[in-house]
Amino acid sequence: MLLCNLISIAERVGAPRIVPTRGIPYPTGDPSLSPAAERAWRRRLLLRALEALQTAVHEPTVFPMDKQVEEAHV
Amino acid sequence: MARIVHYINQFFAGVGGEDSAGAGPTLVMGPVGPGRRLAELVAPEHEIVATVWCGDDVAAGLVGEIIALASSVQPDLVAAGPAFTSGRYGLACARVVAAAQAAGLGALASMHEDNPGLDEAGAAPVVASGEVARRMAVSLDRLAAGIRRLLAGEALTAEDGRIGKLARLTVMADASAAQRAVDLALVRLGGDREATEIPLPRFDRVTPAPPVEDVSSALVALVTEGGLVPDDNPGALESARATKWLRYSVEGLDGLAAGEWRSVHGGFSTVWANEDPNRILPLDVARLLEAEGAFAGLFGEYFVTTGNGTSVANARRFGIEWAADLRHSGARAAILTST
Amino acid sequence: MTLTRLVHHVRQVALGEQTTFAQGVLTVSVDEARGILADPALAETRLAWVSPGESARIVKVLDAVEPRTKGPGGGGIFPGFVGPATPQGSGETHVLRGAAVVNAGYLPRAQEALVDLSGPAAALSPLGSSHNLVIEFTPAPDAGWDRVDAALRNGALRLAARLAEAALDAEPDEVEVLPSPSATRTDRPRIGAITNLQTQGSFKDVFLYGRSFGPCFPTLLDPGELDDGAVVSGQFGHPALKNPTYMHQNHPVVNELRRRHGLDLDFAGLVICPEPVDQAGKELISAFAAKLCAAAGFDAAVVTKEGGGNADADMALKMDALADLGIESVALYGEMAGIDGTGPSIVVAPERATAMVSTGNYDHRLQLPRVERVLGGAQLALLGVPAGDAYQIPTAVVYCALSPLGWGRVTARAS
Repeated sequence: MLLCNLISIAERVGAPRIVPTRGIPYPTGDPSLSPAAERAWRRRLLLRALEALQTAVHEPTVFPMDKQVEEAHV
Repeated sequence: MARIVHYINQFFAGVGGEDSAGAGPTLVMGPVGPGRRLAELVAPEHEIVATVWCGDDVAAGLVGEIIALASSVQPDLVAAGPAFTSGRYGLACARVVAAAQAAGLGALASMHEDNPGLDEAGAAPVVASGEVARRMAVSLDRLAAGIRRLLAGEALTAEDGRIGKLARLTVMADASAAQRAVDLALVRLGGDREATEIPLPRFDRVTPAPPVEDVSSALVALVTEGGLVPDDNPGALESARATKWLRYSVEGLDGLAAGEWRSVHGGFSTVWANEDPNRILPLDVARLLEAEGAFAGLFGEYFVTTGNGTSVANARRFGIEWAADLRHSGARAAILTST
Repeated sequence: MTLTRLVHHVRQVALGEQTTFAQGVLTVSVDEARGILADPALAETRLAWVSPGESARIVKVLDAVEPRTKGPGGGGIFPGFVGPATPQGSGETHVLRGAAVVNAGYLPRAQEALVDLSGPAAALSPLGSSHNLVIEFTPAPDAGWDRVDAALRNGALRLAARLAEAALDAEPDEVEVLPSPSATRTDRPRIGAITNLQTQGSFKDVFLYGRSFGPCFPTLLDPGELDDGAVVSGQFGHPALKNPTYMHQNHPVVNELRRRHGLDLDFAGLVICPEPVDQAGKELISAFAAKLCAAAGFDAAVVTKEGGGNADADMALKMDALADLGIESVALYGEMAGIDGTGPSIVVAPERATAMVSTGNYDHRLQLPRVERVLGGAQLALLGVPAGDAYQIPTAVVYCALSPLGWGRVTARAS
């Protein structure tokens, strides 16, 4: 499955399972967070990716990240 | 009088059906099977001097040999098909004419517009055939007409039944792009709904793989187009227009240490990636999840290329090679990070 | 507001004791120039002229600047760098047309960019037909690359202003009077421009009045401000798809709209936008830009970008946002159609708007001849061969060859 930021491109080329990331230069990162918070976010991203892998899809499908706890800048 | 070599498969060559699909390429002098009718249609100006046939199961991978056989009789043009909707045959026809065209020969293939091989004809023209072999006569008429026009130095268009991608040819316009853009804006404001220099693209449909039943028992691979390589870039991965992909071991690593890896990707600022390479390839967190049993294991290597101006043909090939390699190694899933 | 360009044609160039301009001959004092370029981050600078028609090649091309000034000491030119950061764009600006100050050499994340002064690639780059004062450099041993980059930028801008100063007393060859866009609707169609600036941080950034444009929202800019160097490029990726300072100073789309203002159209205005590196940012900026265009009374916008596929997304989103507001748009796209031209040529196309102009195929191959003289570097990093050799390269490597601002005539058509 695909972790990327430009969702429109991913859908256009037919990527079946997509989890949105926070920026082009850091697909599995977020430099605005502290290192600990960034790693925690990366872990949630990967868990979401694993969920996507276990989900049946028929067309490009975006699996958004859960927003609630993400914004806590530790 | 032009010399034509006709490419067909083992079935239309009268050799056999699926039982002969593994037969390698063979050169026969003169027209064979449907080539006989084709020869009548292009006579007297042109002649089918030879036929190359090959088994459908192996033809697409033996294009070099097919072209070598064809070239041995000094053809002016290679014609392939009609392949109708037969996928293996259509793929072979497409690759044969693409190679013939690239070698400087005339080339023309015939297949149905839904034939999955259509997209591989490169810059060589393809004309539409009927859907099934019952439509052979009318398909040959169109193929013969196309051959005559090509040998007369004319380009084929939709009116000739041309299908498939039209190559974009580089030319110098009379006016600058800025001038043409302002002109086009006025044309559009005048009510034209269609004028454009670039038609909208169509991309492939990708068939989604079925879901992983239980990811906790799966071997998972991390792959990336973020250009992440060991710091000295030993494999000389390109920063743009990558022609290759590389693989590096992550055995025994709990994460990617800054300074030991860097991104050579030219399409974005790599400052943040180089500060913490786990921002491109999330090895640190993947190891934690592996230890917790979220999945059975992490594949021992990661695959990498640079997704910056990569040609679609190369990108498609890399994807096919990655999938084949991972499947062969028992991996059930891949997580691709994209920049 | 009116900007008047006093244009001096540079017909011949030389190095000499003093920096002078007379009768079309621009002479530069190397000592004075090196003094202007001097900075603790640079151990050494070397200057040389390279002129059209020479068997010469410049590699590792960074930024290029057209010599311009508004008066002694600069008079406000290049605000935020040479002049103070106060609004410019009116009054008189002297232009040395036919010359460029060009930095060339290694910077991190700079992609190998090439200019030939003769042969098949010369016509593909604006620098192929200008007299180029090439600045090669050696960084100081302890200087970080960011400081080297800043030193080169400031130096080139100051030197460009100083060169134009030499023409202050010369009679201009042409006087071009350029009015600002008009807010008043006539019965002519109102067409404006949207220019997207690449804003991706170190070595891939563009500056407005001396500040990174990354964190900014779209804004209306007077075209005269482009003339006076308010937009300066610090973007060193994407050789064929880059917009150096020189190109912002001579913005082809804006100049075409100004040329036809009052004839078959009215120039409605110029909106500049950053190119955010995330989807949400791109969508917000695009919606915002469309709102500005509507407020300025655009009937149509000509949209440009800087960069590759990522930047295509910015254009596509703007075209669709404009379409939703009933505004027509035309975007200038470079195509990535592969060597044989059959690949899908557009990375991100718009959905509801469909008018696109092609600035050529990125992948089209060029056969370059061997040349006698090379500046900027000894090797072509891309191929690992001596830079002056004969070799085949994609058009993607030639400086501004697919000019996103529409300078070039190279294009691609259906076969």
